[in-house]
Amino acid sequence: MDKDLEKLSALYDGELSYKEIQEGLDNMHEEPDLKDIFHQFGLISELVQRQAEQKKSKIVFFKDYFSKVNPVMSNLVTAAATVVITLIILYQFDDDRFQVDKEGSLQLSSAISSDEAKSQLLNADQNVMEHMIHIMQSNKSHGSQQISKNWIPVGFSVNPNNPNQYSNGRNNLFFHLENKQLGIKKVKYFKANNNWIYLIPLQDGRLLTAYGDVPPSVADPMIQSIYQRN
Amino acid sequence: MGVSKGDEVFVNEIKAGNAAAFEAMVLKYQPKLMSSLIGYTKSKDQAEELCQKTFIRVWQKIDSFRGDSALFTWIYRIGINLAKNDFASSFSRSSKITDSLDQNEHDVPEYLSPETELIAAESEEKIMQFIQTLDADTKTAFTLREIDGRTYDEIAKILKCPIGTVRSRIFRARQLILEFINQENIING
Repeated sequence: MDKDLEKLSALYDGELSYKEIQEGLDNMHEEPDLKDIFHQFGLISELVQRQAEQKKSKIVFFKDYFSKVNPVMSNLVTAAATVVITLIILYQFDDDRFQVDKEGSLQLSSAISSDEAKSQLLNADQNVMEHMIHIMQSNKSHGSQQISKNWIPVGFSVNPNNPNQYSNGRNNLFFHLENKQLGIKKVKYFKANNNWIYLIPLQDGRLLTAYGDVPPSVADPMIQSIYQRN
Repeated sequence: MGVSKGDEVFVNEIKAGNAAAFEAMVLKYQPKLMSSLIGYTKSKDQAEELCQKTFIRVWQKIDSFRGDSALFTWIYRIGINLAKNDFASSFSRSSKITDSLDQNEHDVPEYLSPETELIAAESEEKIMQFIQTLDADTKTAFTLREIDGRTYDEIAKILKCPIGTVRSRIFRARQLILEFINQENIING
């Protein structure tokens, strides 16, 4: 039975061969139950797609908002918002669930792997949004900032060509310190194209942001280490 | 975006007079059309009536569908045009809608009956929350299909797994969601 329903699901998606489609349509024509289920697939699609559309409209709202408050910023935001749209996933490290998710599950293009997480991003305080955009656009840290050696991941060292950047030869990373935590209470991280942004609230009330092409599998020990020292 | 491969088969079959294909197409797109028409008319009754008229018109005019747009886009345009026409005629009292249930009439499935409800707003939240509880593999395949509109082949490449696995994961997601809906009596409750 499940195999028949699986075929019905594939029929719904138009993913059967011509012959299978014919069979599927015939079966459905004769079986009212199959019609019901097929129709319910339609209800689910409608709901999920509409909810996704509503979330997209929030992105548009953010773009409009930024263009009103700062026209210069809006160009950056337009580019950044595109990143944000595909920026996909926000994971939150919980104290009792301090782990890195499978890399595969993080390569989701625009799939909403965590709707709750995406909502959090979309509903995030505008200061966090601006901070994220600033980080993505500037791609450099401020030389005057005091970056603790303890924060540097094992295997990373200062890039001789850019003293603000740290590298292990394969991945690059830079840090940014913000005096305010922007409402970030737990470590969060975001993926934007091939880069990652880690927001790490420090006990002294500041927010440490690490940005670069350092995946969670590499960053995880660094974050744990900062947390333990913090 | 043109018509998808799956819809293309439906369209060709409908053009050939295959009633089962027409019925399947109605079952698939009726919820989306209803949602759009309710949004436009702000009236469920009116939306149902327009929905029925739309699918009758689709049946009558399917030969003129060239596949330049997605099938639903074409259906949606018909529905909205009928709604505009309906709106105008309510003022002029001279109905411009000429769809009659005469020689081109085709039975529209019973799913357009008043008993058919879109999922109630208060239940939507529950369903969306439930979707978040699906395991990551299942949820990912499902969202790539439903939200991104990816084909099984594309999803298989993204997730680096066989197409058969994609198919079963998407089905699994739908099956679990339907089980949840039935448990909660969301559609018929």
